[in-house]
Amino acid sequence: MFLGLDVGGTFTDGVAAAGGKILSMVKTPTTPDNLLNCILNTVDKVVEDTGSKVFERICLSTTIVTNAIVEGNIDQVGLCIMPGPGMNINEILPAAPYIVSGYINHRGREVVQPKKEEVLKACRHFSSCNVFAVSGKFAVRNPCSELAVMEWIQEEAGPMHISLGGKVSGSSNFLRRTNSAYYNGAVWRQFNRFATAIEEALRVRGIQGPVFVLKADGGTLPLAVAREYPVEAVFTGPAASTIGILGMNDTGISGVSLDIGGTTTDIALWQKGRPLFAKKGAKVNGYVTGVRGFRLHSVGIGGDSLVSWDRHVLKVGPVRCGPAMAAGGPRPTVTDAMVVAGLIDFGSYGLAIEAMKQLIMGEEGPEEMAARVLDEAAKGICRAIADVLGEQAAEPLYSVEEIVNGSEFALRNIIGVGGGAAGLVPLVAKKMKVPYTLPANGMVANAFGAAVAKPTLDITLRADTAEGYYTVAELGVKKKLPCASFSLQDACQLAEQHLSELSRLSGVFPDETEVIQAEEFNMIRGFRTVGKIITCRVQVKPGILRQGKEELH
Amino acid sequence: MNAQTLGVVFFPAFDWAISPTHPEREERLLYTRDQIIEEGLLDMPAIREYKPKIATYRDLERVHVGVPDIASLIADAHLISAGGAIAAADAVMSKEVKRAFAMVRPPGHHAMRIVHGTRGFCTINIEAIMVEYLRKVYGIGKVAIIDTDVHHGDGTQDIFYHDPETLFISFHQDGRTLYPGTGFTHEMGSPNAFGTTINIPLPPGTADRGLHEVLDHLIMPVLEDFQPDIIINSAGQDNHYSDPLANMAITAQGYARLADTLKADIAVLEGGYSIEDALPYVNVGIVLAMAGMDYSKVMEPDISSCPSQSSSVTYYIQDIIKERQSMWRKRMNMQREAIMKFGQFWERKRTIYYDDDGIDEEQKERAYLCPQCSGYVITETVAQSAFHRKTACIGMIPRRACSTCQKAAYEAVHKAKKQGQYQYYLVQNKYEDRIEKL
Repeated sequence: MFLGLDVGGTFTDGVAAAGGKILSMVKTPTTPDNLLNCILNTVDKVVEDTGSKVFERICLSTTIVTNAIVEGNIDQVGLCIMPGPGMNINEILPAAPYIVSGYINHRGREVVQPKKEEVLKACRHFSSCNVFAVSGKFAVRNPCSELAVMEWIQEEAGPMHISLGGKVSGSSNFLRRTNSAYYNGAVWRQFNRFATAIEEALRVRGIQGPVFVLKADGGTLPLAVAREYPVEAVFTGPAASTIGILGMNDTGISGVSLDIGGTTTDIALWQKGRPLFAKKGAKVNGYVTGVRGFRLHSVGIGGDSLVSWDRHVLKVGPVRCGPAMAAGGPRPTVTDAMVVAGLIDFGSYGLAIEAMKQLIMGEEGPEEMAARVLDEAAKGICRAIADVLGEQAAEPLYSVEEIVNGSEFALRNIIGVGGGAAGLVPLVAKKMKVPYTLPANGMVANAFGAAVAKPTLDITLRADTAEGYYTVAELGVKKKLPCASFSLQDACQLAEQHLSELSRLSGVFPDETEVIQAEEFNMIRGFRTVGKIITCRVQVKPGILRQGKEELH
Repeated sequence: MNAQTLGVVFFPAFDWAISPTHPEREERLLYTRDQIIEEGLLDMPAIREYKPKIATYRDLERVHVGVPDIASLIADAHLISAGGAIAAADAVMSKEVKRAFAMVRPPGHHAMRIVHGTRGFCTINIEAIMVEYLRKVYGIGKVAIIDTDVHHGDGTQDIFYHDPETLFISFHQDGRTLYPGTGFTHEMGSPNAFGTTINIPLPPGTADRGLHEVLDHLIMPVLEDFQPDIIINSAGQDNHYSDPLANMAITAQGYARLADTLKADIAVLEGGYSIEDALPYVNVGIVLAMAGMDYSKVMEPDISSCPSQSSSVTYYIQDIIKERQSMWRKRMNMQREAIMKFGQFWERKRTIYYDDDGIDEEQKERAYLCPQCSGYVITETVAQSAFHRKTACIGMIPRRACSTCQKAAYEAVHKAKKQGQYQYYLVQNKYEDRIEKL
C-alpha cells in the first residue's frame, strides 16, 4: 500500500492506494503555521481508516519549501560565482554574489583557473553564512572549478552545506543553475529540520515505510536525497495532480487536463498519454531556475472565483472573496452557479439561489443567470487553453525537419479533476468540440499522484571526441572516452549506465529508461572531421507505480 | 512599456549544410547556441525569442527571378531562413519589440536578383526578401541597409542598384584582397538610383578603432541625411580577428559597440565562420547591445591574440572616409552628369561566378533612364556550368513604375522572344507583385 500526502493551501489530502486503486482518502484542514501538524493529522486518519501502519512508501507533496521562500524564512547564502566573460548577471541574482575568477569555455576547457586566495577572501566576506552556493559558467561541461572552490570553502569555512550549481541542475544555463543553487542553499536548513521532524514523528507513531518527497517534475526522491536537493521540492502541488491524472486515466489522453480548484484552474498539456514538460525551469520567487517541471499554465478561474458586474460585463475571477455563498461566503461565486444549475450538490441551495439573484440585472431567472455565469467561466478557461496551445505552437525549433514536418499539437480530449471539474469541464469541452472524461476520484488526484508517482531521475551526458572526454554534470563526472570511435549510440548506452549508478546512489529502482534528447555534430576543422560533439539526455520514465514492492527498491 | 526591447529569431538549421565540410554546415551555430543558452540570455525580461516563419515563393519572387524558377533552386532551409527574417520584421512592426535580430542561416547577401544557383554560400537574399515584405505588408518606403559582413554584399547591392528608395552601405575587406572581388567606391548605383549605393572597402588589418571611425564619421552622418523609415543591419561577423576566411581585426566588443551605435531596427545574421572563437562572443555582444543591456563584460578568452591596427591602415581609412564624404555631398550633381552622359539607356555587361555551383553567368543589363519613375530594366543572362547552359531574357518593372515603363518592359521581352535567342522569357512585375513567364 502506498501513502500519498498533498499539502494544499486550504486542505491537506491523504490517499492510500494499492494496485492502482484508492483504498482510503481523507481531508484535513492545512495548518500553515506548522505543516507537520496537518501532515500528521492526515497520516493518523489514513492509519485509522486502513488499520495499517506499514506502507510500501510514504510520499509527501508539501509546500514547506515554497512557504519558506514566500515568507522569507530562508538562510543567508554565501554565493560565489565564476561568470568569466559574458553577460553581467551580478545585479539580477537573488543575492549579491562574490565574484571569483575561473572560466570554463563552451568546449569545457578550463581557460582560467580559480584562485584560492580569492575563495578564502570570499569565505571571510561571508563569515556569517552557514551555507554556501558555488556556481560557474559552463560547469556542466567541466566540474573541476566548482569542485575546487567547494573544497577550499569546506577547508576554510566548514559550512553546514555547499550547493553546487552543476549538481543541483544539470541544465545548460548558468543563470538558472546559479539561482537553483542559491535557493537550494537558502532552504536547506529549513527543509532538513522538517525532514528530521517528520522522520521522528513517524518513528514515534510506529509508522513504517520509506519516506519520499515529490518533485516539481512529478518524480520522487527518497527523503535522504531530497535533503541535499530541497529546491526540487518546490511547486509540487500541480505536479502531484498531473501525476494523479496519469494514474487515473489509461486511455492515453492527447490534449489538456484541467485541475479546477478553488481559486485557479491549472492547465497541463498531454501528448499520447504523457504530460509535457516545460522547456525551461520553474520561476522561484520571481527568479528563473533550473527546477524542471510540467508545462503548466494557471488561470484565475475556480469554484470560489468571485462573480461580479464590471460596468455591463459579467466578470468571473481572478479574485476570491471567500467561500461560495452556498457555504456561507459573502459574495456570489462560480460554485453557487453550479449548485443552482444542479451540477453539484454542495452547501445551501437557497443561499446559492440568493447569490444568483444578486447578479440578475434584467428579467431572467436564477437558473438562467447561473447558466450565464458558467458560460462566462467556461469561456475564460477556453481562452486560457487557446493561449496555451498558441504558446506551444510558437515554441522555437532549431532544425528544418522539425519546422517543416513537425506535427502540430492536437487537442483531442479533455480530462478534468478538482472540485469544480464536474460543473465546468463539460461546458469547456462542448465549446472546444472535443470529448471529455471526469475520473471518479478526481477530487484527490493530487494526493493520489503523490501516492503513486514513480521515482525519476535524469542525466545529461556530453561527449567531445576531439577533446577525448565526456561529462555527466549531475554526477560531477568528467572522464576519458572509452574509445576513439565513440558514437551517439555508445553515448546513450554509457548515459544509461551512469543513470543506473545514480539510481543506486539515490536509492531508487532504475526501471524503464528513455532517451529524451540526442544530438550529434561533426566537428570540421579545415576540411577534416576532427571529432564529434554528442549530447544525450536519458531519464527514468516518469509514471506511476501500479503493483507495489517490486517497483520500488 | 509593454514592448520588450529585443526579439531574437534563432534558427541554427542544425540539420542543413551545403556539404559536410563546407563552412556553411550544421555545426556553425552550435557553439553560439551553447553560449547563448548558458549565459541565460533568452531568459532576460528584455529579450523575447521568436520562432521563424516559412517564407512563401511569393515573398521570394518579390525580389528574385530564378531561372527557370526559384522553387527548383532552393531547399526548405532557405524558406525558413528568409522566414526567420520575416518573423523578425513582424515582431518589430507589430511593436511587440523595439528591435529584432534574426540569427539565422543559411545567409543571403551574395544572392543577386537573378538566381541560377548558390554563390558565396547564398541562394536567396534573406534581407532583401524581408525589405520587400516590409514594403508590401507595412507600406515602408525608405530603407537603409548597412552590410557589416567582411565580404562585399554584392547580392544586396545588385538587387537595389536601381532603387533610389533603398540606401545600401557596405563596408568590407577590400575587393582586391577578398571574395567576391567587388564593392569598390565607384559602384554607386545606376543613374536612376545614383548615390544610394555606398561602398567602403577597408584594408586588411582594420581593427575596432578604424571601424568605429567609419561608423561615426561616415555611416551615421549619411544615415542622418537619408532619413530612412527603417534601418537594417546585414550583420556578418567575419570581420572578427579569428575568422578563417578574412583578414580583419574586429573584436566582439567592436561588434557590440557597432550594434549599439547603429541601433538598427532589424539585424540579420550573414557570414562569420570562426564558429568557436568568435561567433559565440560576437552574438552575445550584439544581442546584449541591441537589447540595451550591459555588454562591457563580453570578451573572447583569447583576446590577447587580436592584432592592433597599424598606422598605415589608420591613414588609409581616414582618406577613404574623406573621399566618401565628399562623394555623398556631390551625389546629386554626379547623378545629373551620369544621366546626361548615358541619355536614354544605361548599360553594363558583367560576369558573375557562382562559386558553390561552378556556374559562370554572362549578364547584359539595360536600364531605361525614365524621367517619370526609376525605370524598367531588361537583363539578358547566359549561365554556363559543366553540365548545363541556361539562358533567359528578363524584364523588371519597378515597384512604382510609370505606365510607359510597365508597357515598355513587356514589349522589350516580347520582342526578344520573337527573335528567340533565349530559353526563357520572364517579366518580374514588381508593380503588380508577380512574375510572368512569357
